Parts: sequence; structure tokens; C-alpha cells
Amino acid sequence: MINMNKLAKAISISAFSTVIMLGATQTWAAGSHSGSHGAKASIGEPGKAGKATRTIEVKMFDNYFEPESFAVKEGETIRFVVKNDGEFVHEFGIGTTASHAAHQKEMMMMMEHGALEADKINHKMMKMDMGGGKMMGHSDPNSVLLEPGKSGEVIWKFSKANAIEFACNVPGHYEAGMMGHVRFKGQLGTGS
Amino acid sequence: MINLFSQGRRGCAAAAFSILMMPLGSQAGVYDLTVDNVIIDTGAFQKKGIGYNGASPGPVLRFTEGEDVTINVTNNLDEKTSIHWHGLVLPYQQDGVPTISYDGIKPGETFTYNFPIVQSGTYWFHSHSGFQEPDGAYGAIVIKSKKREPFRYARDYVVQLTDKHPHAGARIMRNLKTMPDYYSRQQQTLGDFFDDADKNGIGATLNDRMAWGDMRMMPADVEDLQGFTPLINGKAVEQNWTGLFKPGERVRLRFINSSAMAYFDIRIPGLKMTVVNADGNNVQPVKVDEFRIAVAETYDVIIQPEEDKAYTIFAASMGRSAYGRATLAPAEDMAADVPELGKRPLLTMADMGMDHGSMAGMDHSKMTGMDDPKMAGMDHSKMAGMGAKPDPFYAPGSGLMPKAENGGKFLSYADLKAQKPLYKFRKATREIELRLTGNMERYIWSINGKKYEDEEEVRLKFGERVRFKFVNETMMTHPMHLHGMWSILDTGAGKWNPIKHTVSIAPGTTVYTETEVDAPGQWAFHCHLSYHAASGMFRRVVVEGSPNLAQLEKTD
Amino acid sequence: MKSQIIAFAWAAMVAMVSLATPASAQTKDLVTYGLQLEELEYRRGDESEDLLVWNGDAFIGTDKLKLRWLGEGEYDTNSTAFETLENRLVLQTPISTFFDVKGGVRLDTPKGPDRWYGTFGVTGLAPQWFEVDADLFVSENGDTSARLDVEYEFLITNRLILTPSAGINVAFSDDLAIGIGTGVNDIEAGMRLSYDLIDRALSPYLGFVYERKLGRTADFAIDEGEDIEGWRAVVGTKIMF
Repeated sequence: MINMNKLAKAISISAFSTVIMLGATQTWAAGSHSGSHGAKASIGEPGKAGKATRTIEVKMFDNYFEPESFAVKEGETIRFVVKNDGEFVHEFGIGTTASHAAHQKEMMMMMEHGALEADKINHKMMKMDMGGGKMMGHSDPNSVLLEPGKSGEVIWKFSKANAIEFACNVPGHYEAGMMGHVRFKGQLGTGS
Repeated sequence: MINLFSQGRRGCAAAAFSILMMPLGSQAGVYDLTVDNVIIDTGAFQKKGIGYNGASPGPVLRFTEGEDVTINVTNNLDEKTSIHWHGLVLPYQQDGVPTISYDGIKPGETFTYNFPIVQSGTYWFHSHSGFQEPDGAYGAIVIKSKKREPFRYARDYVVQLTDKHPHAGARIMRNLKTMPDYYSRQQQTLGDFFDDADKNGIGATLNDRMAWGDMRMMPADVEDLQGFTPLINGKAVEQNWTGLFKPGERVRLRFINSSAMAYFDIRIPGLKMTVVNADGNNVQPVKVDEFRIAVAETYDVIIQPEEDKAYTIFAASMGRSAYGRATLAPAEDMAADVPELGKRPLLTMADMGMDHGSMAGMDHSKMTGMDDPKMAGMDHSKMAGMGAKPDPFYAPGSGLMPKAENGGKFLSYADLKAQKPLYKFRKATREIELRLTGNMERYIWSINGKKYEDEEEVRLKFGERVRFKFVNETMMTHPMHLHGMWSILDTGAGKWNPIKHTVSIAPGTTVYTETEVDAPGQWAFHCHLSYHAASGMFRRVVVEGSPNLAQLEKTD
Repeated sequence: MKSQIIAFAWAAMVAMVSLATPASAQTKDLVTYGLQLEELEYRRGDESEDLLVWNGDAFIGTDKLKLRWLGEGEYDTNSTAFETLENRLVLQTPISTFFDVKGGVRLDTPKGPDRWYGTFGVTGLAPQWFEVDADLFVSENGDTSARLDVEYEFLITNRLILTPSAGINVAFSDDLAIGIGTGVNDIEAGMRLSYDLIDRALSPYLGFVYERKLGRTADFAIDEGEDIEGWRAVVGTKIMF
């Protein structure tokens, strides 16, 4: 008798790892931001609200996060309640150093085009179609871009331990230190 | 304390009173400085000079925002001296300029400065007497912020540059007056003529030489004073000042240009720099590969060296006649490759202000946001694949247009935006035009054609917002410094215009700054190139009125 | 006339000394001073006339007014006599961006009769970098004459400099006692190649000089049995403090 659970697990693991490999190559290719979900597989995946095991409150200031780092368990889904308590626009995004670097280039472009200013977001310009299939705009599940005083939410599942950072990719903020590391402590289901 | 209490109720009250009067958490630091004759050793030559606490550069004074400082300065020289706290906002009598703030400090005398620290960041101090500053009298000031800074770093270093010359300052002034190109050793020669003739043809080259000859000006005249040895924190290239770091750390470098005359182009091959502070004020972080630091300016950058190796801080003089070098390394006695100096820049006719069509460019008060056709670089259809935007603070076609050696980004004033504006953004109440003028042949430098001794004061009223229009009618770059009050540089960023104390005006350009006149008394306002200030490019600014008077006027 | 000229010279010196306040940055009236020798050389021609020649000046003053002493001379080492010995004391002030006007007195004390002159002229930088000096002289006897000197510096390298120079003297009346005739007196052309050995302070050079007397002045010289033209090799140094 085939153990359906085990089979399901095996299939999903192999599918998962294939997707991860595809995703990894996507990331190295530094493709378009609004690209495949494969790119995000290495950093986890959008979580489902119901599955969130805990809530982490993230406050954004000029130019730093509070807390400056946090720990998660592999497989855990976390709901981040993000509040911008600073006077400038900030982002809370989950990714790797490489994905953040790519995102910084895009945010630089948004700033040059006037879609993004130091202390406000020009929502109309954000929706502009830049032609060639590229969209401006900031609507990815792994990050939230907030004007001063606003709040937002990111629900994320940290599927696998990896070198994951959370960061603000508004031009200059990452270099000024507005980033932190996600520490992995054990696996979901195990005690602590 | 016990004694006070034992003096009975009166003593008790006095003690309690004095405790209550002390602002919570305030410090009252006392600092001692001596002004001494020192020997400066650059490795290449030794020279008698002036230093503080027995050395040049002097110590790094570390204050805290909110502190009430007392600085005792003892003059051990045979001549009068003074110390000016560059960039600090303080009562005018503490500003340290002889004949404007006070009489100076006589030989043997100890003068006590006393003022509150109302700001944070990187600043510097130097003598304002004679040519003591070029002779070595300078030091650094680091002021800790009372609030958390908008950037993180694990450690910081002061990186203070100067242009040490084998001749004493007074001698240099005399030589420049007698022969203005005394120190110019990069002039165009016969060899240059043949090189240019090869490239452009004899006719074109002759025309070029004659066009300049007609004006009796030299395109090679970028640096008045050459033959200096750049020092970083008092050390020459061979002496190699080294700052240590742990790979992966963020390091804050506080660059201060304490030169008499030299501008430097700074880069760290292999590392990008994020500029977070300019002239002591935080700016919205901007990542660059290279930046130009004018005389008297400061720039703080954050770097994050990841690799376990040495990096070279390379400071090429703007005229490419000399370079300074320091090292950042994980351990002592390490060094990285030192880059080549590069070709000397030549001024162009654009720097002569000949191209009048472009002079209109920088008056942003009249520009209407993004629709302004004069703002280059906003045409997105052409932006893809385009090279770096030309710096709008240089005449279009200028020979001094900065270009990053590695092809990357070179910082422009246009990139500087205040992190936190100090003043509410409002329209200026009046405009004052200051034409930067001079006669290179006589080595006379002036403002509106008049030298300091021709006694034209600038009179300002307390409470007004003055818009200064600097029109550079010379072919030299002048770092203009107003004491006591901030110069808000108009870069077209409106309320985000950066707040500076020293603004460099490139040849053939017009630059606007605005100042909220909020410091009563009288202040110096001058070009910070030492030999320009000494030959007349200097003004006394008198602020009429005071806070109380302004209040009365408001209620009338 | 002579006493008036001497009185003027003293007055000028007193005026300048009173101006001499210590120079320092950010104060008024920067006073500068300097000494330079444009020529300090040994001249040798084929007529075995060995000359020690100098041409220099010293000055003190401000941007508005300078007091200058200019001196030039030619000393014949063989006959131990001064062929030329001229000293001038002038006050100089700017009249335009590149030109100054200067006026004062001149005293000639070579072998032969002495002469006092009043002098007035301009000096400065003409377009295309020609250095120009033009003077008008009036002697104590009322004889007027003029002089024009032009020089150009040609940079072979930043230290190796080739300097062609030319000068012309013209007299508007005879001064027989010192051998001057009306008209063009003489011309001098020189070519010197110098090297800035120590900054601009010491610049040794070598070169040649061509001199020629003309017109009535030449006739007087021939009568005296003197040469009216000659080429000379020169070796010397420029000095500047």
C-alpha cells in the first residue's frame, strides 16, 4: 500500500526543488521584478493569512527598522504589521541581497521618473505602463511600500532556511543600514 | 554637596536651585588647546609650521549635541592667533575672526571660548589669523547627535585632507602677487602645441592659443598653487594613514578638506560610497563612486567593505598635479594598489562664461516643477543607455566637469537633498547679487569688483530670508563660506534643498543660496581659498536687529 | 630741476614707508615686496669686450601703489668702467586690467657725464602675452628721449623657457656730451634660454645679444672710434625673491 502522505510529500518536494532550481536561475538572471514565482521560491512564498503562527510588528523610521533582526522557524508563516513612523517613504521587503540589489535599481528608476519622492508616492505615476511589458508599480506580496504614517501588511511563509534579508530599497536606505537579517531557528513543529 | 547642606537652609536652597537649573542630561565639557610652533614632516620635506596641542593636524574635538563647551586656547606663538569653529552656529563673539568677532589672541594669552552646541555632525576648526591655517593650524570637530542618526555604522574615522606646501603661506602670497603663475607648472608648452597640432591641425591649434592669448588667460590655470604635498590626517602617501575595519562592517568616513587651495576628487577603488552627510547636515543617502570635495567642505560617507583585503582611499587634486592616499584595511601594514593620477583638465571657453545662453540655468525659484524645458535629463525616451547626466553646477562644456574614473556615478550638488530641513520653506524676502571677480595678473580677487579693504559691508536684517546670487565672472572655482548662518543651496529641490556652510561656485556659473538671517552680530563671508581671501575676496556681514527687536516689530 | 627731482624721490620714499604695515590675511591693504634680476650675466663679444650686465628691480607696495627701484648696468671688466649705469626710482599704479603707469626719476652715472631725468611711462602685459615697457625721459637739460622694451616667454617645457627680447631707444634732441643724436639711437635684440632650477628663484640661462647703434648716434660713435654693432654670447641667471 502506498503511503499517500509520503508520496504527496515526495512529489511536492521534487516539484518544489525543481521550482527552486528554476527560481534560482531566474534570480541570477536578474529578470523583471514582476516575474515568475520561481524567483521567490528561494526566499519563501506568500503566506496565507490563516496560517500565520504569529505577528511581528515592524516599525519603520528614518532610516532604520525596529526590530533590527528577528528569528523564524523554517516553514513558519509570519504576519508582519508594518507601520511607517518616519517622515520619509520606506519599504519593508523580504528577499536576498541579490534580489534587493535588483529591486534597488527599479526603485531608483521610480525616483528618477517621479513616481516616488522622498516623502510621498505618486500613485498615478506608479500605475504607468513603461512600454515593452514593463510596469512601474509596487505590488508584490513580499514587500510593502508605505508613505509616512501609513500601515501595511506582509504575510510570508519562510519555507526554507536561507540567507534572507528584510530591507528598504528606497535609494540609499539599504546602504545607510536600513536592512536586517532573518535568523532561522529550528523548524516549525519542533519545540522552539 | 555636604558643605552646602551644612550651611543651613540657605545653602540647601542654593544647592537645590543649582540642581534644578542644570538642564537634564547636559554636559559642560572643558577642553584645552595650545597653539604651538611645530615641525611638519611629510616625508618629502620638513617644514616649520603651526599646530594645536603640539601637532598638525590638531586633535579631534569630540562634543555632544546639547553640550555647553568651554575651550581654553593658549597662544604659545610669538604672534597673535585665533581659532574659528568652521560650520558651528554660535554667538558671534565666539566665532574667532579677528576684527569681526574679537581682537584675536595675543602671544602668551589664554582665551576662553564658551558656547552651546546646537548641532551634530562633522566640522573642523582652524586659525583665522595671517596664513597660520595653510601653515598647519587646523583640526577636526566631531559632534555626537543626541538623537539616533538615520544611518548605522560600526565605526567611524575622520579623514582630513590638506595641501601642505614647502613654502610658508606668507611667502606664497608674496610670490603670487609678484608672479601669478609662480606655482603653475602644468602650463601649455611647445610639446603640448605639437600634440594638439597633431590631433586638431596647426590652424586650429594656433587659433586656440591665440583666442586664449587675446584674453591673456591660460586654460591650464585650474590650480593657482601647485607643488604641494597632499596629506591625509597629516600623513603623506608613503606614510600611509590606515583605518582598520572588520570585513562586512559599515564604516563611516568623515571627509574634511582643510586645504588652503586644493580641491580633491575622492574615490575608493572597489568600494561604492553612500553619502549621508554634507557640511555637517544629514542628506538623503546617495550612492556614488566618486565625489569632489571643495576647500572647507565636509562629506560623510558610509562604506561597507566586504572583502578581507586593503582598499585605497585615493584623493586626486582637481588639477591632477598631486594625489593623497590613505588605506582601509583589516590589519596594519597593508596596502592596496594606488591608481594613476590621470590627465590634467583644461578649462574651456565655456568656463570663461562665453556661452551666455547657458547662464540662465540655475534659478529654480522661477522654474515650474517638471515641465521646465531647461532641466536636462528628464526626457525619458532618450534616457535609456545614456551616459551620466552632466553636472548642472558646471558650465555646459566645462573643462572641470567631473567624471568618475571608473565610469560610475560622480556626486553632484544636484544629488544633495536635506534629510531634515532646518527651516520652513518660504520665499526669500530679497535677493543680493555677489559677482565673484578678480584679476589673475595682479592676483587680486574680489566681490563685485571691490576688495575687502574697500569697505563694502553686506547689511542684513534679522528675520529676513536672503537669496544670494553668486555670479562667477572668473575662471577659478571659489568655495564661498558664510560664517554663523546656514547657506541653503538651491538645487531645485524646494524644501529638500541641502543645507551647507561652504558652497563651491564653478567658473562661468551662477549659483543661488538662501540664508535665514537668524544670527545677530557681524560675520565673515569669504572665498575659502586662503590666498583669495587674503587678496580681497572677503566681506563683513552685519546683521541688524536681534530676536527681541524682531519680536517688537512683529507686535507693532 | 635736479633738486626738484631729488625732492620728489624722497617724498615718494617717505610715503611708501608709511604704508608699510605688516601683511596678514583678512586685514586691509596687503603690502607686498620683491626683488628680481631679469638679467645678471656675463657678455662676451668678438671684440674682446667683456661685460658684466645686470637689469633688475625691487618693489614694495600695495595693489594701488608701488614704489619701485629699477637698476641696470654694464660693467666692462677690461677697462674697469661702467658703460651703462642707470638707476630709477618710480611710483607705479594700475591704469587698466593689464597695464600700470609709472613715473619718477632716473639717474645715470656711467663713465662720462652724469645725467638726471624725470621719467614717465607704462608697463604691462599686451595681448598674446607680450610684456611691454615704454618710457619717456626728460633730462635736466631739457632733452627728451624714449625707450620701448618688449619680451615674450616661450615655454619649451614648464621649466625650460626661451625668452626673445627687443628694445629700442629714441632721442628727440642731441645730447652730444653723452654721444646721443636725434632719431633712433640704438636697438638691442636678445635670445635667452633659461631653466628654472630652484622654483622661480634661480633660473640660469645662456643666449646671445645683438646691439646696434643707428643714425646720428652711430655717427658719433664712429667719430669716437667705437663699434656701432656687435653680437655677444651671454651666460647668466635670473633671480627672484
